[in-house]
Amino acid sequence: MSNAISQRVADFLKEHEPFNYLPYEDLIQIANTIRVINLEKHKSLFQINDVLHDSFYVVASGVIHLTVISDAEETLLNKCYAGDIFGLRPFFAKNNYQMTAKAREESIIYAIPIATFKPFVAQNVEVLNFLLESFAVNTKNSLDSQNNGLMSDSVGYSDNQSDMMYFQSLSYNKAPLKISSEIAIKDAAQLVTENMVDSAIIIDQSYPIGIVTDKDFRSKVATGRFPLSNSIDKIMASPVITVTENISVAEAQLVMLKHSVSHLCVTHDGTDKSEVKGIISEHDLVVAQANNPGVLLKEIKRSQTSKELKLVRDKLTDIIQSSINKNIPLTHINSIAGEITLAIIKRAVEQSILDLGSPPARFAWLSIGSQGRKEQLLLTDQDSILVFEDVSAEKYRDVKDYFLKLAKKTTSTLEKVGFAACPQGHMASNMLWCKSLTDWTKQYNSWMNTPGENSNEISSVFFDYEMAFGEQKIEDAITETIFKNAKNNVLFFDYLGNDALKKPTPLNFFKKFNVEEDGENKGKFDIKTRALMPLIDGARLLVMSNNIKGINNTYLRYKQLAMVDPKFSEVYLNCADSYLVLSKFRAAEGLKNDSSGQYINMDELNKVDKEKLKNALAPMRELEELIKDRFQLTQFS
Amino acid sequence: MLDWLKNISKEHPEFWKNYTSKFEKKSNRYVSLSLETTGLNPNKDVILSFGAIAVVNDTILIGDTFEIAIPQYKYLHDNGITNDFLLESAQPKLAEPAAIEAFINYLGNATLVGHRIHFDVEMINEALEKLACGRLKNEALDIEIMYKKLHDIGDKNFSLDELANLFKIPKTERISTTDDAFTIALLFLKLKSRLKLQ
Repeated sequence: MSNAISQRVADFLKEHEPFNYLPYEDLIQIANTIRVINLEKHKSLFQINDVLHDSFYVVASGVIHLTVISDAEETLLNKCYAGDIFGLRPFFAKNNYQMTAKAREESIIYAIPIATFKPFVAQNVEVLNFLLESFAVNTKNSLDSQNNGLMSDSVGYSDNQSDMMYFQSLSYNKAPLKISSEIAIKDAAQLVTENMVDSAIIIDQSYPIGIVTDKDFRSKVATGRFPLSNSIDKIMASPVITVTENISVAEAQLVMLKHSVSHLCVTHDGTDKSEVKGIISEHDLVVAQANNPGVLLKEIKRSQTSKELKLVRDKLTDIIQSSINKNIPLTHINSIAGEITLAIIKRAVEQSILDLGSPPARFAWLSIGSQGRKEQLLLTDQDSILVFEDVSAEKYRDVKDYFLKLAKKTTSTLEKVGFAACPQGHMASNMLWCKSLTDWTKQYNSWMNTPGENSNEISSVFFDYEMAFGEQKIEDAITETIFKNAKNNVLFFDYLGNDALKKPTPLNFFKKFNVEEDGENKGKFDIKTRALMPLIDGARLLVMSNNIKGINNTYLRYKQLAMVDPKFSEVYLNCADSYLVLSKFRAAEGLKNDSSGQYINMDELNKVDKEKLKNALAPMRELEELIKDRFQLTQFS
Repeated sequence: MLDWLKNISKEHPEFWKNYTSKFEKKSNRYVSLSLETTGLNPNKDVILSFGAIAVVNDTILIGDTFEIAIPQYKYLHDNGITNDFLLESAQPKLAEPAAIEAFINYLGNATLVGHRIHFDVEMINEALEKLACGRLKNEALDIEIMYKKLHDIGDKNFSLDELANLFKIPKTERISTTDDAFTIALLFLKLKSRLKLQ
């Protein structure tokens, strides 16, 4: 029987995997058995060790977080959005739930009874594969492969990997130990030991016919069931499970689970009637899943499309998240994230050049703003400028044209990667910010010598920059211009000082947080404008007035200031610490909600965190006083 | 004054006796109901379609729905209104007596949930009277009243669309009484958990 609602639900399901593999009539039939659940924010659907439900779940709207408890801490495994399925355990296992499903925001969930869905799984291979993969991704359980039954009882959680992590290709031992079948067990064991491996492939005319692993020596030889003098083919496992080259982590894991083996033999065409190319062990899978910035950098360099770059950026988010969870110092995370983001931008420029042909003049692509300071943890917006060397007047138009095209291409690549376009248009693709070195020099001269005259909005982001791609000399020239102009330029510093102090204060008269009064972020605390920006602006101002070059990072700027200006070193050091604490709050908020983290939801902070945040805001007053003392701020106020 | 005596002597139809007997037990089932009528006067206007969906244990059962359109030939003819739109709708069609009987059987002793449900109850009571039945015995909950209670609002009224917007319930292109009933059911679940009703 079909009714308006089951049609509506079926329409929704057919847009999503694995339901899109099923015909519409089946979906109607499934929809008719669905129960709809409304889950209030922070309510959980099931918890670790709850008895299995008789259904699995599809998110209709809202966000569900899947978490495990490890070391008494709640760790996020996965976020499920509209159309995502979760709670698949009842399909594959009999024991209780191994994770908690909790609504991150008010959610509507479709519960699909296992009993109705099972026949469709059995009939449809694609659906089965999808469920298996989803289950593997949602649990990441290496122990599950040991018992023959698909899933054992513990969740081996490994630090929050994205699903994509699973689909990277796998590196494995490409020179496995190959031995012939006549060799004695003792000699084989000797070879395995000498080669420091844990397995050997037995070959017959370069085709694999069997495999021996440590386990075989242990269970079949050490137990005395076979004497040492027997030939190796008596104890080998045969046939070997073979796979093709370039297998993904997910696939390899599935094959291991399916056959309950710990090693896979890689052959030329994936059958056991072709040449052996390597061996994949469970250990390789573990290694492949470790997040490794070095690997990411390599992947960036190899990438050909914006899509590939996006995958890398997604992985970076995972690294940042797990690093923050592990309490790795934020300065360290910042520098790793900064390097990777820089590499992404660089590669984006390279990809554009590959597309457009080589540039007609030398140029520099400078990242400005947060990336210029290497403080970009979250996917915030992109800011950049492009400076090209001076060319003769008749060539100027063509050259500018080329660079504008290049910039447009690059910014759109970066947008696809996830860096939103700058709302103020501070991007190299903007005519204004893509020009020759002479024009840029003029621009900086006019900004710095006559601030507030031509435009009130000289954006301070232009004074934090880092070269992502191009000619080092050009960057140096810009730096020189800025510092030449900065020397004894009272007017300019006063302007910046005013700008820095103009930001709204974080705490009100009663030492309560000043939260947003209206708009969609009502009741939240704007940590970016009220706390981080004043610190960043203050650092930039003081560094420039002290003629400190080459340090772009806010934290390091304060550290450096403490050294060159020892009289106020305490203020500077406090500001440096505050900056780290505040950025951490912002990063945590951003990761939790997939946002830029600008607005902190105060209701979600516990008392300790609130105090911590408040304490971090304290040094701002001292900084403010210091700036007021040092510069004459009256000229612009 | 002695009207009730008349009722006693009158023989009720079989389905009605069956219905009243269900009330010996208490139900944990809710039925979210939406009616389409020709107007707002229970004495003159008639029901054009029913859409209902059941809620049990805080979950909406998609399979447990009720949708019937009533092509009110006589009423529409008398008032010179065309009924093409009803005939073309995808909902199954029944004449009024059969539709009412089917609905009463579907409803049973469940608690009714609706938006301005008392009007709906009045409409059904009018139709029941024509079939020589008594009045509905079901308890009824109104989501508009629940919402006002939640926020302690006295004098403002909220349409179903307004409520759906307030709770960010996605809109659909299809507009039938069944869709409305589904929206009401979702609103009911959200309000119920917020009001901590058991």
